[in-house]
Amino acid sequence: MIYLDNAATTFPKPREVLERMIDLYAAKGVSPGRGGYDCAQEADELVSGVRQRLCQFFGGDDPHRVIFASNATDALNLVIQGAVKPGGHVVSSQLEHNSVLRPLHHLRERGLIDYDLVPFDGQGFIDPDDVARAIRPQTQLVVLTHASNVLGTIQPIEAIGALCREKGVPLVIDTAQSAGVIPINISDWGVSALAFTGHKSLLGPTGIGGLVLSRSFEVQPTRFGGTGIDSQELIHTPTYPHRLEAGTLNILGIIGLMAGLDYLAAHGMESILQRERALARRLWQGLAELKRVKLYGTDRLDRRLGVILANIEGMIPADVGAILDGDFGIATRVGLHCAPLVHQRLGTGRAGGVRFSVGPFNTESEIDQAVEAIKKIAEFRRTG
Amino acid sequence: MRSLAGRDVFFDSEGFLVDPSQWSEEMAEQLAREIGISFLEETHWRVIHFIRDYYLQNGRAPLHRELKKGSGMPLMEIEGLFPGGIKMGARLLAGLPNPRTCGM
Repeated sequence: MIYLDNAATTFPKPREVLERMIDLYAAKGVSPGRGGYDCAQEADELVSGVRQRLCQFFGGDDPHRVIFASNATDALNLVIQGAVKPGGHVVSSQLEHNSVLRPLHHLRERGLIDYDLVPFDGQGFIDPDDVARAIRPQTQLVVLTHASNVLGTIQPIEAIGALCREKGVPLVIDTAQSAGVIPINISDWGVSALAFTGHKSLLGPTGIGGLVLSRSFEVQPTRFGGTGIDSQELIHTPTYPHRLEAGTLNILGIIGLMAGLDYLAAHGMESILQRERALARRLWQGLAELKRVKLYGTDRLDRRLGVILANIEGMIPADVGAILDGDFGIATRVGLHCAPLVHQRLGTGRAGGVRFSVGPFNTESEIDQAVEAIKKIAEFRRTG
Repeated sequence: MRSLAGRDVFFDSEGFLVDPSQWSEEMAEQLAREIGISFLEETHWRVIHFIRDYYLQNGRAPLHRELKKGSGMPLMEIEGLFPGGIKMGARLLAGLPNPRTCGM
């Protein structure tokens, strides 16, 4: 299989990540911080060490404010529901994934908040001025994707962070697509909270993700339970990170996350980014030459990740994906990509498009085969 | 709900049967005419029957590679055979329910 669905999850994972997970989980896979035995303490130290590394990796200012969650969606739910108050207003965008749109919709349906979604331009970018104009006195949060999961376009978060800081409104960013491939520094960028997932460019397993919060930003807990400390109290532990974590942590996932960070450190994030961009450029250029193939978003590939959305004129994307898979052994993601407003804006309606997303293990030959497959499909449809 | 092939049948907003057990060959022929196939030929039936039989036996539509092997045709040809393509043509005529995932 030629795997071009890395924006959904990177596959395969590096062998060293998988081996490290097995070895360390076999040795230290106990409940971290619970119990009085040495191994539990060592597991807790391992978890704390990963918090520190993630804090440093994302430019946070307090490792205690690295919160583990299941994935970016889970982390976004934690921060959105824990930071808005009744009567509040949120600014977000039409580029968002349902991980942001659905929590916001849910809160508005319950009559708790209102929100506005700023548009994106024909190239796939949000204008910081639109964000500034959408902020009201009641605005409690700005929530934006760092990079679109449909178009791959990287948003001007630094500029938006600066204006949010000036207006005193916390900025939350969704880095599901960018974490592990684009350098991020939330302290420098004026970001109050960052939601990440471990299983994409951070190269860890599914089921692990989290939040990195700045010291100045408070989030109320929205789930409660055991934290391993203050067990005599019925009130959930108020201090970070336990404030936003309940129940036994996913230590296997945390080990995988650590191994993913090790992999990135050893191979160089910049080097991986450049490699993926070169493959994306090859794919874009190949597809752009084909008749009846439409591409979306900017052709400035230095302003996007290795994510390319395409359609073949007159064909349903789901069928193109099925043919790519069944006849050519190429895995892509078709449809709406859980971002319906992006497709609404692009005019790709209910059917969506075919998303190709490259990863660290794709090759030039695989990209050429994908281009050739699309060429054959488009030509067959015309003559067949 | 609409009347088709002599019975009242429920369809969803995209034209898929809500209850696959209501399907009949006569119904498929009538639906085929509506999507621009005036006569269902042997190759059409081969695909329709494979999809339908597979669904009834396994409770799900065939995987892409299973469809290719079972029908004896590349998916590209199946797509070209039905004006609506694989999903909106072959699958719909075979009376399978609408796949809810946005990627199907």
